Amino acid sequence: MDFGFSEIQHDLRGLARRILDDAVSASTLAAYDEFAAPRFDRVLWQTLVDSGLSGIAVAEEHGGMGLGFMELGLFIEELGRSIAPVPVLAHCVAGMLPLQQFASADLQSRVLPPAARGDILLTGAFWSGSATPELRAQNTPEGLLLTGHCRAVPFAQQADWLLVPVQVAAGVAVVLVPTDAVGVRSNALQMTHFEPHADIEFNNVPVPEADIVLASGGEALVTWTRERCTAAVCAQQLGAADCALRMAAGYTSERKQFGVPVATFQAVGHRMADCYIDVECLRLCTWQALSLLGEQRAATTEVQIAKIWAGDVGHRVSYACQHVHGGTGIDRDYPLWRYCLWLRFNEMTLGSSAAQGAALGQRLARGEGLFD
Amino acid sequence: MKIQFTEAQVALRDELRAYFRELMTPALQAECERDMGEGGGPLWREALARMGRDGWIGLGWPEEYGGRNLSPMEQFIFVEEVMRAGYPFPFLTTESVGPTLAEHGNAWMREEIVPKILRGELLVSIGYSEPDAGTDLAALRTSAVREGDDWIIKGQKMWTSLAHFCDYTWLAARTDPDAAKKHKGISMFLVPNSDPGWSCTPVHTLGGVRTNATFYDNIRVSDAHRVGELHGGWKLITSQLNRERLSLINFGPISELFNQVVHWARAEPGETGGSIAELPWVQANLARSRALIECMKLIVYKQSWAMTEGTLAMADASAAKVFGSEGFIEVYRLLGEIVAERGLLRSHSPGAAEQAARIERLYRTASIITFGGGANEIQRDIISAAGLWMPRASR
Repeated sequence: MDFGFSEIQHDLRGLARRILDDAVSASTLAAYDEFAAPRFDRVLWQTLVDSGLSGIAVAEEHGGMGLGFMELGLFIEELGRSIAPVPVLAHCVAGMLPLQQFASADLQSRVLPPAARGDILLTGAFWSGSATPELRAQNTPEGLLLTGHCRAVPFAQQADWLLVPVQVAAGVAVVLVPTDAVGVRSNALQMTHFEPHADIEFNNVPVPEADIVLASGGEALVTWTRERCTAAVCAQQLGAADCALRMAAGYTSERKQFGVPVATFQAVGHRMADCYIDVECLRLCTWQALSLLGEQRAATTEVQIAKIWAGDVGHRVSYACQHVHGGTGIDRDYPLWRYCLWLRFNEMTLGSSAAQGAALGQRLARGEGLFD
Repeated sequence: MKIQFTEAQVALRDELRAYFRELMTPALQAECERDMGEGGGPLWREALARMGRDGWIGLGWPEEYGGRNLSPMEQFIFVEEVMRAGYPFPFLTTESVGPTLAEHGNAWMREEIVPKILRGELLVSIGYSEPDAGTDLAALRTSAVREGDDWIIKGQKMWTSLAHFCDYTWLAARTDPDAAKKHKGISMFLVPNSDPGWSCTPVHTLGGVRTNATFYDNIRVSDAHRVGELHGGWKLITSQLNRERLSLINFGPISELFNQVVHWARAEPGETGGSIAELPWVQANLARSRALIECMKLIVYKQSWAMTEGTLAMADASAAKVFGSEGFIEVYRLLGEIVAERGLLRSHSPGAAEQAARIERLYRTASIITFGGGANEIQRDIISAAGLWMPRASR
């Protein structure tokens, strides 16, 4: 049992924080408010690619650092802290990770090196509430023909390739589709937190054999990837919640009313103390999930628990931090409001606390997930 | 970062579970039940001494005290398992007073008292609170006055739990009534409960647990009974309380109770056919409990790790205490809703079921640790000040 960072983990966190502190601020983020531009900082993205951070969990033979999901998660925590406008969850977690785990050696060597170099951008359709794909495929002599849609895919309009599960006669297949393929049409959504997401329609889109990741048995890939996406959202929530909390603690320590800092009112101090405990709970549950997934161990229970906390903590910390700031917390000239949008997104995506709790409760009722 | 037990830690846990399955005989369980989960009976004492002889109590202690030199994490695994087994382990003596004596005590304490604690042969009660000094502990009035080489101790303490079967009281007394700040005039003593000037009267509580008012009628002790620096007791109190707050939150029993309630709900038929566990609201309560207890586990494991590393932070000890104490209450309610009216039957009632009756009692005892070991309001003050660097109002 080790809750400390290794030297590499410590260095990676420091590197990520330096790059993100330099590149992301309230004024750079303001450029994307109200969809003034797609929320994607390509210069920062290239910096992250060049620093090696985007390839943390990619094997060295494909141009990555060859580290694990724990290290990737710690990087994502820093992204959450800065709410940086980059497609790390889409490209690294929903794109490269499942390819590295499930794709053939040929497909890996075709896609992963350019993805690790940042020459191509990947995204994956693993975020919808339904586990069954709303996308169907027919067999053709050349491969598959796709018809249907998938919803709310992050960076779908910016990505070059989409990794997507499809319903086939034998169950679920998973394929790679170029986003500019004939028959693919995307409709941009306006998400609460300004991140570019889009629904994608497929109208008789051909997929050649070479781009089929799994012709059947894709359910395992979907479960595997969704667990990692969920843990990554928890890490992102952890960074965002911690940052919002520190902002509120700092603000109430400076802001004076009745001649004294607002922080000296016990009611305010106690509400912040409760947020501190909340964030610590989220931190520990998230790190546990990252640690287990990093070792490729079963972590269904631990991921569900982390997401329950990510939802509850995000909600409570967001409103508490807004509240103790008074009007400043919702003033768009002060940085807190954008964090509240992300805390909300992270709370709701990939299963709210209630939905995750229901899923965990069903497993417990089957006798799964009890304490050792 | 690796948030899993090592193989050796898993093996230790399994070894301890087997050990306690054998140790917790039906007769011992019945005695513990009779003593309201407080211990103190002859079989309980015998079992404690056996754990001491078998080298378990001092698992994480240095060899010089008779320990096995493992880390606080292994020590914690032991305490978790002994509590999970349902043995009322005197953790305040072994996990909080013992280590504080080892760190700050004189040669007699280190060479006589501490090894006896680790052998399971000596128990210490804690004398802090007084009728007029609770949360504002530094207002305590029990006095220790120097007379020649000795000290004369006079006063009254409240909530001196377990004192009626302990050997000593770890006592806070005022040694400098003129100190500019009231917490700078306090010293710590180890007072023998066997002294003729020592007496106690029981205080019976909501949960059926006995605690005590203790009286110190001009008890004469030598200076060797004083612990640490003269007038420097406050530091020892806070150090002991930090350890106490950690040991109050033990996830062994509650995780065991949770598992048992799940097993029970899966077997218990509901009104509409199928088991109670199939009801959506039961599943929701189970899931909430499961998520909460998981955090309790991780918080205490992280702190055991931090103690091993020597980096235990005050805010985190307080966070564990607040989260754990309020979490216990929440879980007892959630699980209590599942067992429903069965959880209103006391253990000796006709029709009482084991788990439900346990919840009936736990619900009555659970409030103790939201104020015991330092009121949670004070803990939240500590968290916002030490954890978030927020300024505090002067008191």
